[in-house]
Amino acid sequence: MARDIYAYECTECGTLHYPFRMRCKNCGELEPFQFKTVALPKRGKLLTFTKVYNLPAEYEVATLGLGIVELENGIRVTGQVELDDPKIGMDVVGVVDIVRQETYDSFWGFIFRAA
Amino acid sequence: MSVDLEKILRPVDHPMTPFPAKYMTLASGEEMVIRQVDRDEIPDILQYVEPLVHVERDFYDVVAARLYSEILAYSRSRYQDQYVLVAQVDGEIAAVVNGRQVTPKLGMSLHTVALRRGLRIGAHAFATKMEYHMDVLGHDEVLIVAESPIGFRRWMIEYQLEKRFDTPHELGGVPSWSLTRELFDRARDTLVVGRRPVPDELLAKARAGILPPSDPPTPPADLLAATRSMYDSTGTALMSQRWQQEVDNA
Amino acid sequence: MRDVYVAGIGITSFTRLEYPLAEIAAFPSMLAMQDSGLTDIEQVYVANMGGPRVNHQTALASAVVDSLSLTPAGAAAIENGPASGSAAIKEGFLAVASGMHDIVLVTGAERMREVNNLEATDFIATLTHPLAEYIYGVTLPSHAAMFTRLYMEQYGVTERHLAMVSVKNQNNAMLNEFAHLHQPITIEGILDSPEAMTNNPYIAEPLRFFDACPVSDGGAAVILVSEKVAKSIDRPLIKLAGIGQATDSHAVHERENPTDLLAVRRAAELSFGMAGLEPSDVDVAELHDAFTILEIAESEEVGFFPKGEGHIALEKGETALDGRLPINPSGGLKGKGHPVGATGVGQAHEIVHQLRGEAGERQVADAKVGFTCNFGGFGNNVICLTFVRED
Repeated sequence: MARDIYAYECTECGTLHYPFRMRCKNCGELEPFQFKTVALPKRGKLLTFTKVYNLPAEYEVATLGLGIVELENGIRVTGQVELDDPKIGMDVVGVVDIVRQETYDSFWGFIFRAA
Repeated sequence: MSVDLEKILRPVDHPMTPFPAKYMTLASGEEMVIRQVDRDEIPDILQYVEPLVHVERDFYDVVAARLYSEILAYSRSRYQDQYVLVAQVDGEIAAVVNGRQVTPKLGMSLHTVALRRGLRIGAHAFATKMEYHMDVLGHDEVLIVAESPIGFRRWMIEYQLEKRFDTPHELGGVPSWSLTRELFDRARDTLVVGRRPVPDELLAKARAGILPPSDPPTPPADLLAATRSMYDSTGTALMSQRWQQEVDNA
Repeated sequence: MRDVYVAGIGITSFTRLEYPLAEIAAFPSMLAMQDSGLTDIEQVYVANMGGPRVNHQTALASAVVDSLSLTPAGAAAIENGPASGSAAIKEGFLAVASGMHDIVLVTGAERMREVNNLEATDFIATLTHPLAEYIYGVTLPSHAAMFTRLYMEQYGVTERHLAMVSVKNQNNAMLNEFAHLHQPITIEGILDSPEAMTNNPYIAEPLRFFDACPVSDGGAAVILVSEKVAKSIDRPLIKLAGIGQATDSHAVHERENPTDLLAVRRAAELSFGMAGLEPSDVDVAELHDAFTILEIAESEEVGFFPKGEGHIALEKGETALDGRLPINPSGGLKGKGHPVGATGVGQAHEIVHQLRGEAGERQVADAKVGFTCNFGGFGNNVICLTFVRED
């Protein structure tokens, strides 16, 4: 099953947010939870990236790629990147997979690879 | 019947190619020499290792106690096929590493102790030890364990060591990890540094004598130690004494 | 609003301190009381970020006020991430400015070395967005690294500029007896020698080991008083003339231009505006260089240099101890250390020290106006303070 990461669309003004917030940053509507979930697109451009060497204790890998990606609809997300030769502005495509494991808990998020 | 007991007790070392000394520039801009020492120089090193036995932090105590016994045994010919390398900055002792040859194709890493911190001296010394096993002695793999979390993190994860859990390591009988030639070749470019030959003057300075460390790790305040004492069960005197150092600073 | 003055200061070494957290907060408070001669403290604010999580100590302020035998004075702890220190100073300022109190003690303390480096890094990483950042393994070094990559691309900052910041600050720290790192480093050793890349490995590309601050324990304290009290004691008159605070999006990726630190820009504008001063009036500054790139970026955002030109000023030596505008004479977070909750108070301590002319070998000549920038989160909660020597 293909998984998605969701953005939150304000039902008043249509502004998209990611991650979730309590109040729309555009129209400021005060009725809580006035958002509908919208699956984020998977394709986008790599905005910036790093390869991290000092990881939190539960990671048992030597390095981890991280990046910020601007998706096709203009929403930006932070995610892991698995790229041999990352370049600012390159096209990437994301999958939703396990990005962190704490004992028995798994966390799912974006992993981006070359498009 | 006369038997020379010493002949029985003293192991015969297998031939091992000596480690060719090298030097490198540290982050501080200072030059550090790493060279092999023989039995004669071990007593000079022992006196600087001994205080670390009392440093109950980051497993300095365990590592120093074991290193002390290993190199003492080496100097008194009670340890087979061991080698000891020492790192010196301006003559001053900066790190000690040791290991041994198990077979002509298998090495075993023993200990790495840095006496100066913050300049990645321990990392340099450990990499040098691996270089000795792989490039000089021609071992195919080196068995490694770590006592401290810092060591484990650095060696097991940075070098991506392989598990050899069916082989107990001589240090504590715990499961071994292995640095294979393939892993070493991958790590070589980023981790193994140094230049040869060492300029005569630098080498002469290092050989002239192993000088004491200027800023060795010191024992932490053992707050509970005071509570165990007969005269100061609340630890108050010890605490005040420690804070006095800060008062002197201010 | 009443004017507010700094009457007393105190600090511990920033290093590994093996005392209970409450004592790390109380010790510099004692020094600040000695310094000012004031003991009638009416209110205590204790800045700390990790007590409950790292040290199993909650309600820290209650412990500190009692340890100092200041009960029944009011006391509260302030947690605001790495900007806790300046946030507590702001609260102390408001308490005096409002007329509610005349003498307020603000102390900051952190004891992070109780846990190992990995746990300390993870503890700081909990300030990132839990669902959109933290789960990916995002840490503060990784935020700083992604930021640095863009800065290099857009403004021509290089690894050499970053190394220049670390050498400058670590060498300044050599002159500071309270600093964590008393270890000189050279460009040769961390950038140019054949061994440099191993001496100074990547922690998060393009940031290297010597681009990051150490993990420190430490405490610092200031006593804030009304004008009347300040003039009744025999200490130089240092006025806390401006405070600005601003926030930005929690998730870094939500910012319109990822190389802008808008909260820094706004906090500085508010602080200067309140003090009635301009960035060009500043004689000495302590900026939050948890990573070398931040000193460069903040020096632009607070208005010392045009955007994209901070590294050029650095190259010219303008920010060196003997430059036109010395930045981080104390060694900064990079050299002096970064006990997170105490850092903002530590910055204020250094500036007061400088404005009083008591900074010894690292004294900036004739310093009359000092400035601090305390950077919380990854730029999402920033407080800037402006201090002026009046007499």
